[in-house]
Amino acid sequence: MTILMPEPDQAVLARRDEIVASLRRIVPGEGVISSAAEMKPYESDGLMAYRQPPMVVVLPSTTKQVSEVLRYCYQHGIKVVPRGSGTSLSGGALPLADAVLLGLGKFKRIREIDFDNRAVVVEPGVTNLAISQAVDHMGFYYAPDPSSQIACSIGGNIAENSGGVHCLKYGMTTNNVLGCEIVLMTGEILRIGGKCAENAGYDLMGVITGSEGLLGVITEVTVRILRKPETARALMVGFTDVEAAGKCVADVISAGIIPGGMEMMDRPAIHAAEAFVHAGYPLDVEALLIIELDGPQVEVDELIQRVEAIALGCGSTTCQISTSEQERLLFWSGRKAAFPAVGRISPDYLCMDGTIPRAQLPLVLRRMTQMSEKYGLRVANVFHAGDGNLHPLILYDANKPGEQDRAEAFGADILRLCVEVGGVLTGEHGVGIEKRDLMPEMFSDIDLNQQQRLKCAFDSEGLLNPGKVFPTLHRCAELGRMHVHGGKLPFPDIPRF
Amino acid sequence: MDTLKVRDAQEVEDAVRAAIANEQPLEIIGHGTKRRVGQPMATNAVLDLSALNAVVAYEPNELIITVQAGAPVADVLSLIDSKNQQFAFEPMNTSLLLGTVETEGTIGGMIAAGLAGPRRIKSGGARDHLLGAHAVSGFGESFKAGGKVVKNVTGYDLCKLLAGSWGTLAVMTEVTLKVTPRPESERTLVLRGLDDVTANRAMTQAVGSPYDVSGAAHLPGSALRTTGGALAELAQPDQALTLLRLEGITSSASHRAQSLREALKSFGATELIEDEDSAALWRAVRDVEPFAASGPRALWPVWRIVCPPASGGAFGQALQRESGGEVIYDWGGGLIWAALPPAADAQARALRQRVDKIDGHASLIRGSDEVRASIDVFHPQPGGLAALGQRVKSSFDPRNVLNRGRLSRGPAA
Ligand SMILES: Cc1cc2nc3c(=O)[nH]c(=O)nc-3n(C[C@H](O)[C@H](O)[C@H](O)COP(=O)(O)OP(=O)(O)OC[C@H]3O[C@@H](n4cnc5c(N)ncnc54)[C@H](O)[C@@H]3O)c2cc1C
Ligand SMILES: Cc1cc2nc3c(=O)[nH]c(=O)nc-3n(C[C@H](O)[C@H](O)[C@H](O)COP(=O)(O)OP(=O)(O)OC[C@H]3O[C@@H](n4cnc5c(N)ncnc54)[C@H](O)[C@@H]3O)c2cc1C
Repeated sequence: MTILMPEPDQAVLARRDEIVASLRRIVPGEGVISSAAEMKPYESDGLMAYRQPPMVVVLPSTTKQVSEVLRYCYQHGIKVVPRGSGTSLSGGALPLADAVLLGLGKFKRIREIDFDNRAVVVEPGVTNLAISQAVDHMGFYYAPDPSSQIACSIGGNIAENSGGVHCLKYGMTTNNVLGCEIVLMTGEILRIGGKCAENAGYDLMGVITGSEGLLGVITEVTVRILRKPETARALMVGFTDVEAAGKCVADVISAGIIPGGMEMMDRPAIHAAEAFVHAGYPLDVEALLIIELDGPQVEVDELIQRVEAIALGCGSTTCQISTSEQERLLFWSGRKAAFPAVGRISPDYLCMDGTIPRAQLPLVLRRMTQMSEKYGLRVANVFHAGDGNLHPLILYDANKPGEQDRAEAFGADILRLCVEVGGVLTGEHGVGIEKRDLMPEMFSDIDLNQQQRLKCAFDSEGLLNPGKVFPTLHRCAELGRMHVHGGKLPFPDIPRF
Repeated sequence: MDTLKVRDAQEVEDAVRAAIANEQPLEIIGHGTKRRVGQPMATNAVLDLSALNAVVAYEPNELIITVQAGAPVADVLSLIDSKNQQFAFEPMNTSLLLGTVETEGTIGGMIAAGLAGPRRIKSGGARDHLLGAHAVSGFGESFKAGGKVVKNVTGYDLCKLLAGSWGTLAVMTEVTLKVTPRPESERTLVLRGLDDVTANRAMTQAVGSPYDVSGAAHLPGSALRTTGGALAELAQPDQALTLLRLEGITSSASHRAQSLREALKSFGATELIEDEDSAALWRAVRDVEPFAASGPRALWPVWRIVCPPASGGAFGQALQRESGGEVIYDWGGGLIWAALPPAADAQARALRQRVDKIDGHASLIRGSDEVRASIDVFHPQPGGLAALGQRVKSSFDPRNVLNRGRLSRGPAA
């Protein structure tokens, strides 16, 4: 493990039996798991290179229990790591040796479906896909669609501000949540927002979304649902050079067209996917775009034509348009299976996640090829081309000495490059532990201190999910100190009008 | 009163540090068009951002624009308009309602006020389009929030807090906003003569249809009786109007308008208004023209009420009956603008009791200094939430030097 986690608190570890017993009083029966064998499944999340057994696992099933567990931990200075389905790719749900792992998996109820207000109230353990399924019969769906949507929980989606193919047109999680119930580390239960389009006061929902389990534990969520578009059709467009594909993406958008999804794959990813699912992808191209238009039939038919013309204008070598739902799904099948497909051609891979300004795409891909040579590791690329969100997959073999370290160094270089060209470290997977130590690439100490002060407003003792997101842990008192070296005169040297 | 017209971020930092050292709170303004919104403040130092007015970068292909916070809204709108782009959240121009100069208003003020127009139901509010910001906190430190790309989850989303914070957390010096292509055309379906509850049902059905409605407003006859402008031109005296907007490529907007008209047949015959005429109607709705400060309701306080959309009609109907006021509905019923006959508390108590029952909230957007000094202008929050809000404020501005007392009454506000 190359990433350091906070030093375990020996005093807490020494009290483990007593802590387990106390937690059992709050969550009876099988809600507390303490044997090493049974805790095994909770040792890591989707970032499987890192593992750490927790001190104890607690699986509450009511908000009251969550509140009591947190209050107990707060009073006794015990750290808590919240966990949804454990699919995080950035290590957000990685346990700590001296912390309670608080699993929300039992919060599985859909509490209310309100079609008139286009809102659904759910418990945090409900999967993303289950929400869409619950409202499907009335022609509605929940727009954000991470590829992990069959497994990942809505609570985890809020914590990570997850995105998916639809986000280009329909926004990320943050644009689709209305309210929540959250339990603070002290055990205090708060309700934020509800079914209104806009909340009163500071936009706390907005900042909780994407806070990676560091501000509070979400025990209920109200999401906005949308009516499903009448129809959807996809184009599959191949290019013999990446630059042309990049130009096509930019041209579609500057023509005022916002597709329901616009995804790109590079040569290695196309080959891996085709070998896996036989989607009929062209193998003689350097880049493949899958562009989906959704909406009313007339609109989709017309926009398909416009996009096709743009693609031809950019020098596409192949352009197929789906003529049936089956064909549309076939076009997507390779893209959707890209990760497992790459998994077949390499024992291990690292999935990176960064966002760049779209115009920088050709440069970034060129530089990635150079890095691939430098590190002696292959890289395959699939990405959300419409919003510049890259997912380079770095192929390596953990059994070969040094390869994992090289893969990680390569990944860090890619993220530095993203920031260098004006982008950001993560577009949807979160910072977690994976990108924690790279935060200074993007933010100054002052920027990070301001973020940590906000954390203090929610969790004054820093007990909730410590060691994630921030490279350096500060005490709240120290962050609150004011450094004023300004003069005593009112507003020296500033011109007055 | 001291007014400091700052020229760059460094001067903002200096000013805030001096304010901390001297324990002298600052009132933050762009053009100051909304100085009379919020609790009246007692500061005698004004920090004026209007000289920070440059466009830093505009990249139409990336769908983003970066401007200094004091950039005039009017200039920025015409710049992006020249590339056929817009702010999708369709922010309102409050000049009609507040009686300020029509061409005034800064981008920083627009974001800090966080208002959203009719397209809120489809495209969200200002919060959804602020991608990044540079700002000076009440620690006197310049910090950066967010980034300059449309998809970003790196660290806490501080931009969400800055939008709608009315300048109480930090002074924005530069912001990056998402822009979107302007729709090729628009169509508005007009239904006449519906009562509020029925209109609310029609809007609920329309917004929940697959036809991608981008505006759903209802104007009861009583609200239209007294106004001129685009809305009055369309309305017969005392006749209610229900408006539903469809935008997009021409073939699609027309097609969807037709389909929606079919779907809403049971609510009566519909008329179709196109393009420029339609745009004029929605500007009037967006800017709350019926309650203009120059109109007959000039002396009435105006409330902005946000509620679960399907409860809007019944709520508004009862409110009119019991308060003697007038209302207009936007966001399919989820936003109600209410002009109420003057009262010492602008009817705050009665209104808030009612709003709380439907889990909504109400802010006084227009009201005299005396009224604003005597009531909570922004909706009071339950204890725990208010306390958390207060801790959030302190985490940005512990000495409470930025817009002290603008958001809530009481010593610590
Ligand atoms: C194959 C695969 C594909 C993926 N594709 C995508 C994708 O397309 N887009 C995308 O955005 N992500 C994707 N992910 C990442 C992951 O699925 C998302 O980040 C997801 O939102 C995590 O949800 P979870 O329930 O598994 O959360 P977990 O992994 O359990 O937790 C994630 C974080 O959320 C916190 N957390 C969880 N529940 C709560 C709660 N109730 N209250 C407070 N904090 C909580 C945890 O502490 C942790 O920090 C993918 C993952 C995999 C394995
Ligand atoms: C032609 C035209 C069209 C317009 N159209 C729209 C439109 O479509 N949508 C729209 O939303 N608006 C529009 N507006 C403007 C809008 O109505 C607001 O009036 C305006 O943006 C407020 O700006 P201001 O500088 O006067 O705000 P002020 O009254 O100065 O400030 C408002 C609030 O923001 C705070 N504040 C101001 N600047 C900052 C800053 N830099 N950092 C932190 N806090 C700050 C203040 O303290 C105050 O609380 C339009 C304006 C014009 C002129």
